[in-house]
Amino acid sequence: MAFGLSLALCALLNALLVIAKERSKAVADWMQRITGHHWITHVAVVLILFAILGWCFARMNSGQGPKMPVHRLTGIVFSGVVAGVLIVLGFYVFAD
Amino acid sequence: MKEIVLLGHVLFGVSCLLATVWLFVDVLNAHEGNLARVRWLSRAAAVFFWLGFLAGGYWYVVDYKADKEVILKGPWPFAHNYFMETKEHFVITLLLLATYLPIAASNNLALNKEARRLVLCVAALVAVLALMAEGHGAIISMGVKVALLAKPH
Repeated sequence: MAFGLSLALCALLNALLVIAKERSKAVADWMQRITGHHWITHVAVVLILFAILGWCFARMNSGQGPKMPVHRLTGIVFSGVVAGVLIVLGFYVFAD
Repeated sequence: MKEIVLLGHVLFGVSCLLATVWLFVDVLNAHEGNLARVRWLSRAAAVFFWLGFLAGGYWYVVDYKADKEVILKGPWPFAHNYFMETKEHFVITLLLLATYLPIAASNNLALNKEARRLVLCVAALVAVLALMAEGHGAIISMGVKVALLAKPH
């Protein structure tokens, strides 16, 4: 449950980081400087956020994690991933 | 060496796709007898994807620059400007999905219908995005080829 929520959120954050990187030279330069390549930084940021958010969500409700029906989690995962991917695909068509 | 890395990237990507489709069918028919195989398939899909991602990531960071220059000078600049730009970013989401697959599959899918649906959803997303990544990669490769063929001899 915890990492499923983290996945949905990070799928969206991944897309937003793409927009931030492409729109802001300062963000792009910072990402390039941190690891020597913007893409490596991007992957690292998303993976670290996935781990941290998953861990945080797992600690909710005295360590029992988020309380929600599994079918709602399925909907959240599906929506988050599809929205994130469509944002990336759409950004490079319409906005870049 | 870089060709072997790139071929390895494609091989592991296809292996992930095959493992995920097999997993999907097994989960549709989940019972106590195939739960162990379901869990192994989910781990295999995740491992294959990580290997493909690392190989592709290495090639992208170290070797892609020369191909990119060729593509941008050729008749298919969109092979980089759209297909590589989108692929290098949506595969990060795919990495998270593939990593989550064995976590979701650790539930008792024979008894828990909702958990089964979650795994089916994640597996389907992995399969569709993996297929999309293969297609994007094919167009990127073709972008290099058409650019080289367009050069005067």
